[in-house]
Amino acid sequence: MAFDFPFLKEALTQLFQKSSCEEYPFKPKEAFPRFRGRIVFHPEKCIKCGMCERVCAGGSISNVLVGTTEETELYERTFDLTSCTFCSYCADFCSTDAIELTPDFEHLMGTKHEELLVKGVYERKKRKPAAPKAAKPAAPKAEEKPAEAKEEEAEACAND
Amino acid sequence: MFDKLISKSAGKSPWLFHINAGSCNGCDIELVAVLTPRYDAERLGFRLAGTPRHADIVVVSGPLTAQIKDRVLRTIEQVPEPRCIVTLGSCPASGNVFKGSYSVVGPLSKYVDVDVDIAGCAAKPETILLGLHKAAQILEEKRAAMSKGGNK
Repeated sequence: MAFDFPFLKEALTQLFQKSSCEEYPFKPKEAFPRFRGRIVFHPEKCIKCGMCERVCAGGSISNVLVGTTEETELYERTFDLTSCTFCSYCADFCSTDAIELTPDFEHLMGTKHEELLVKGVYERKKRKPAAPKAAKPAAPKAEEKPAEAKEEEAEACAND
Repeated sequence: MFDKLISKSAGKSPWLFHINAGSCNGCDIELVAVLTPRYDAERLGFRLAGTPRHADIVVVSGPLTAQIKDRVLRTIEQVPEPRCIVTLGSCPASGNVFKGSYSVVGPLSKYVDVDVDIAGCAAKPETILLGLHKAAQILEEKRAAMSKGGNK
């Protein structure tokens, strides 16, 4: 050769080797197991304990009352994926496993904000208001307690 | 005469300009990783442009901090039409954990029209590739609309 072609040997060997490119959109790819991707909410399991909202790092979980019937109230829980850190705290703290982070990474981009919201509607039975407690049993208990306290103090002084 | 050829060729090479608006650099690292041979966005025509005036798609990462807000808006204005704005990660789309901070001025959609949102913290490179591909398609629609309505 008149002058050295730089990287000639590497160029010739790489010509016949497989490329290291993953060619993603044209060849399907699966995320590794336990990858924390798009959230799936199972509304029938939700008991409205509110732990997920409390624990969410990005403050992306919200709960709105959307309807009432005679016995139940309908709530809609929204997971805003544009504010989600995918830390999986909500799924870890959910007491009924209603939240699941699937290995889906393809539906994490969107042109409209609605594509990145996960919503679920669940119902909760209305709680009956508690019966008012009767006032009578409170008075004799109040009289007994100071008497007992004086006896205990006398015993304690005697022991010392 | 060459306009159709130029439009078709330009659609196959959308150039990116990346702006870091106060990001933690997680999404920035994944973006430049997408441009490396393993995930290879270059086979779809993407490359980083050195100046916003050469770019087609603007990629913004990071929650908009008060210090950088004016500079980001000025830079986006320097990108010639047709352009696409892509938010990378959850920070520019909503602020994520930095919502309500004294220095974070809110989601980018308050100031400009965002075309594609890529969610994630940090965004997975395959998701970034899908988002950029979608942005390139939107760019082509905008270019077709521009040539039909505006200039000719």
